[in-house]
Parts: sequence; structure tokens; C-alpha cells
Amino acid sequence: MRVQVSLVTGVLVVAVLAAIGLRLGPFAPAPAPDYFSAAFVKGAEFEFDPPAPGSYGLPAIKSAPDGEVLDIHGETRSLAEITEGKISLVSFVYLMCGDVNGCPLAISTLYNIYDGSLNVPELRGEVQLLTVSFDPARDTVEAIEAFHYPVTSDPDAERKIEWDVLTTSGPEALQPILDGYGQTIDLSNNQELISHLLRIYLVDRKGVIRNVYGLGLIDPRLLMTDVETLMMEEGRR
Amino acid sequence: MTINRRQFTALTAGALAAGLPFRVFADETCQSPYMPKITGQEEYVYVWTLGVEGMGDEQDKLVTIDLRPGSETRGQVINSFSVGGRNEAHHAGFTSDRRYLWTGGLDTSRIFIFDVHTDPSTPTLHKTIDTFVKDSGGCVGPHTFYALPGRVMITGLSNDADHGGRTALVEYNDDGDHVATYWMPTAADMQGAVAVDGAVADGYGYDVRALIRKNVMLTSSFTGWSNYMMDFGQMLGDAEAMKRFGTTMVQWDLHTRQPKKVFNVPGAPLEIRFPWGANANYAFSTAALTSQLWLIYEDDAGEWQAKAVADIGDPASIPLPVDISIGADDQTLWINTFMDGKTRLFDISDPHNPHQVYEKVIASQVNMVSQSWDGKRVYFTSSLLANWDKKGEDDQQYLKAYTWDGSELVEDFAVDFYEQQLGRAHLMRFGSSELYG
Repeated sequence: MRVQVSLVTGVLVVAVLAAIGLRLGPFAPAPAPDYFSAAFVKGAEFEFDPPAPGSYGLPAIKSAPDGEVLDIHGETRSLAEITEGKISLVSFVYLMCGDVNGCPLAISTLYNIYDGSLNVPELRGEVQLLTVSFDPARDTVEAIEAFHYPVTSDPDAERKIEWDVLTTSGPEALQPILDGYGQTIDLSNNQELISHLLRIYLVDRKGVIRNVYGLGLIDPRLLMTDVETLMMEEGRR
Repeated sequence: MTINRRQFTALTAGALAAGLPFRVFADETCQSPYMPKITGQEEYVYVWTLGVEGMGDEQDKLVTIDLRPGSETRGQVINSFSVGGRNEAHHAGFTSDRRYLWTGGLDTSRIFIFDVHTDPSTPTLHKTIDTFVKDSGGCVGPHTFYALPGRVMITGLSNDADHGGRTALVEYNDDGDHVATYWMPTAADMQGAVAVDGAVADGYGYDVRALIRKNVMLTSSFTGWSNYMMDFGQMLGDAEAMKRFGTTMVQWDLHTRQPKKVFNVPGAPLEIRFPWGANANYAFSTAALTSQLWLIYEDDAGEWQAKAVADIGDPASIPLPVDISIGADDQTLWINTFMDGKTRLFDISDPHNPHQVYEKVIASQVNMVSQSWDGKRVYFTSSLLANWDKKGEDDQQYLKAYTWDGSELVEDFAVDFYEQQLGRAHLMRFGSSELYG
């Protein structure tokens, strides 16, 4: 019972923090921007403006790995098939994470991107958010479905970019995905906490990792500038 | 115990980098902000050591010394991993997850990647990169290994065309695969950078550091293979060789990896250190040949500038400042000078007006300095370059550990690297099992 209470509490904590990002951000109305980044909220820690999209390159870092994941409906899917054909921002979280500078920060940033995409129709169908849990024992299909409710119930979802929240069947399915991306987690002595380095990965349509963001780089404007740079590279922008 | 703003900021920075509540933190103060730090007690120090012909196994090696309080082997060498030859072992750096330590050889351009997380007391060789020159398109002499998320930024010192100082930044992913090469700007190819106050871009390289929230990356400049592999005395007598030293620092856009400004910093600016304070928009570097402390700072108009802010010892006697280490509270800076074997502590509380407050002779020669996060333990090693180290009895090779009480360095223990047939002690990095749960 204690585990269930903790799980619900954890989901609520993350959901509330995410909702703060969802409801309080200055998203509308917004003019049609010259650059995608103009439609997104500046991160609090940032003291610089993103560069002009397309003024720089994003070299291939490595191939993103494949692996079996479970979606919020409990269906087994190939991660590589999900990323193929779209530009993806892939993040790894666990729903019990209570550190405001950890997963909640990443999730808040993703909500900013998700909501900001309402003002950039060109992104729809081209860009997606993928959030993968690295705590499959507690982040069950039911838990991620509950966590994702603000998105699945969003009346504007059809006009925003897609966002999939995923989990895995267990450590054997999860570990190759983490290893392939280079997402380090540490199951320490404290069973409640999972030590990890906050990371978001930019994956192109061919499944190649083109950038890796750590704390200090997780600014919606910067991420979307890189997305726009990839679209310009493809001639789609 | 009270905690001041700077301490809190520093602790917070460490916490943010780890993506965790305050847990292990911190190690020494000069690491990439992207990686977890050991803020408590360091358990091990890894010393990247040059093999010496006729001594022991004659190979470069990673030496592990026990620093654990209460350990029966504290202050002793507990492991040594030889890499199979001599490469002019020099600098090293962790990946951003701090699980691997990349070590470089300036002569052979080989890179040895050690696993330091499986058993932090016993690093093992995980992978060797033998293709750095080919991968990079001609860069020679991998020097600084600076952790970025999922990647390692490596500065080169030279090139394979003329073995001079023209060189590049080379980026690898954490798996050890080449990602990109960024050649340093030159007067002939500024790559969009602006020369400040008549600076002439020399294309040289040495160190790299970044201030993430300002999107600023800085590089410094030393000299090429033809000089750093030459006998020191011979080089000093070679007027042409002495012209081949770096005179610039470059400000880069961290995100785009594009050079923005070239500053005139004569005399081979070497190590670069950014402070940790939330509003500290500056960095220090020291020029080896002119013995000056330089400040690279953001001015009131938001533009970055460079200026000399203090002499280090008597520049006329060429004390040759080498490694530096900034305190976690941004108030002090240790500066080693190789020729007189001294360490000097500068008060940098006013970064525009730093001044020396303490000095001590460590040995006949001293190069590297590393301190614990709380500044209470300070470690020194001896070797600069195999052909630049002193000769005869003055060629002392060691790691020395001191305690610092705010007014005096007191020797704790020393390891004689020649007596133990290990070689020339160069770069130090700390390890701790606490980093890995």
C-alpha cells in the first residue's frame, strides 16, 4: 500500500509541476514568428539568445538505439520505428523524481515546447516529443497513462506536436536503450531515488543523435532552434 | 554552520550538474560543470604518469593513490596500469558522467580511455584511440579533455603538416567516435571572428573551458610538437623556436562552435579557469613566458575583453607559471611556477585587482595543482614535459599532499615517483566510489 501511495504522490508531484509549466506559460496569443524559437519561452537560467537557425551545423554524434517500449495503451512498439521519419526530442525521466532541477525541469521544458508548438503549425507532423521512463518497476503502463492525462485530454492536442510517453517491460528491455543513448542512471542504496544526469537528445529523421542537452542547455528556444536548423538542412524550412 | 551566497551557489551548481539533490559533490574545482563533482572527501587520486627510459617498465601509466582517511594504504600507490609504451603522457579528463577518464599522449596522439567507475580503486583500460590524427584531419597532440553532455571536447597542440602550433578543437562522442573538428582561426582565415586590439590570430591551442549560461567557450594557445618535444635548454637558445609560441585567446560561441573574438594575450596563455558564482562573468589564465595573470571578462556593455591584471613573481626571472586552481568560493587562485618550484596563492576577490597573499616552495620543480572542493587539501605534482623537466638532482618527481588551514600549507604525505620506479608525475584527477552509488 505504501508503494501505491508513493506512486500516486510521485505522479501528482510531477503532474503538478508539469501543469505549472502548462498553465502559467505566456503562450498565447503569439504572432507568427520569423524563427521557431520566438514562439517559445526563455529558460530562467539563460543569459543568451539562441543563434540564427541554419547558421551552424549539427554534426552526427551517433546512431540512436532501437529497443522495445510500451506505450500508454500497453502496446509493445519499436523505439526506432517511432523515431523514424520525424525529428524527435527524446528524454528519460522517472515519475517519482522529486528534484525540481531533475525530471520535473525536463518535463516542464517539454510542456513549454508542446504548448508553444500551437503557434508553429509547421512543426505538426514533423517534430515529436518522446519521454521514456527509466523506472519500469514503478512507472507502469497505468502510471504513465495517468501522468500523460494532461496531454491526452488536451482539446488542442491535434494542433500541437505529438508527445508519446513510454515505459518498458523491465530492466532487460530498458538497459540497451539507456546504453545506446548514453543515459546514465544509478540505482543507489536509496530505493526511492534514481541518480541520473539530466539529458535530452535531438534525433533526426534517420535515427541519428544530432545534439545532447544537459542542465544549462535545456532551453525551449535553443532546442527549437536546433530543430529548425535540421529542417533547414533538409530543405523543409 | 552558516553558508554564504557563493557557497550556496557553488553547491547548487554541483547539484544541478548532477541532476540530483545535494549528494556527492565535488571534487576539485576546475572540472567541467557538466559532470558530477566530489564535494566531500576524495578517495583516490589518479596520476597520469610519463614512463622513463630505464626506469621500471618504462611505460606511461595511470597511477592510483589511496586518499581515504583511516585506510591502511592511505598515501600509498595502490594500483598502476601501464599502457604499453611512452606517448608523452600529459593531460586527462572525465566524461560528463564521470565514468571514464580519457588520457592523452602529446607525442603519439594516442588516447587511452580508462574505466574508473566499475572499481574506482582499480582503473582499467577500456579503449584506446589510435586514430586521432586521421580522425581529426591532421590535428596532433590531444591535450585538454573537456566534458560536454555525451561528448568530449579535445584541444590539440599541433598538426601533422608542419608540427607547428596551428591546431584544432576535436570533438568525440563518449563512445570514442570522432564527431567533428574545428580548426582554430588564423589571420588568413578568421572564420568570422573579430580580432581585438590588433590581435593576430595564430591558430594555436592549449586549454578549453566554458561558461554555459553565457554560451561562451574560451581557448588558449601554447606551442607545437616541434617545440614541446624539443629539449628545453636547446629551445631557449633557438631564436626561431622561441617565436613559435601562442599569443592569443579565442572566444567561441559554445553552442555553434564558431569563433567570435581573438584576444591578444602574449606569452603563451595556458590554463583557463571560470569561477562558479552565479554572476561571475569572467575567467583567469596565466601567460607562461611573460608571467602575467590575465582576466577575460564581460564588460558593462556585455562585450568580452581581456587584460593583464597582475604579475606572477618577477617576470624578468621567468618563473614560468604553469597550472592554476581556483577556489570553489571564487576568492582565491593557486598558481604554480615551474622554475622556482613555488606555489603562490592569489586573492582574486576583486578579479580586476588580484594580489598574491602567500607562497611556498614545494620542490625544485612543480607543475600541477589540484584542490578538494572545500580547499582544505591541496595536491601537487612535478612534471611539465619529459624534455622540459629539470635535469639531475633537480628532476624531482612526486605527488605531494598538503593541508591548507587558510594561512599555511602543511605537508601531509609525499610519494616519490622516481624512488618507486613509476616515472614523471603529471596530471591529477580525483575518484570516489560515492559517485556511483
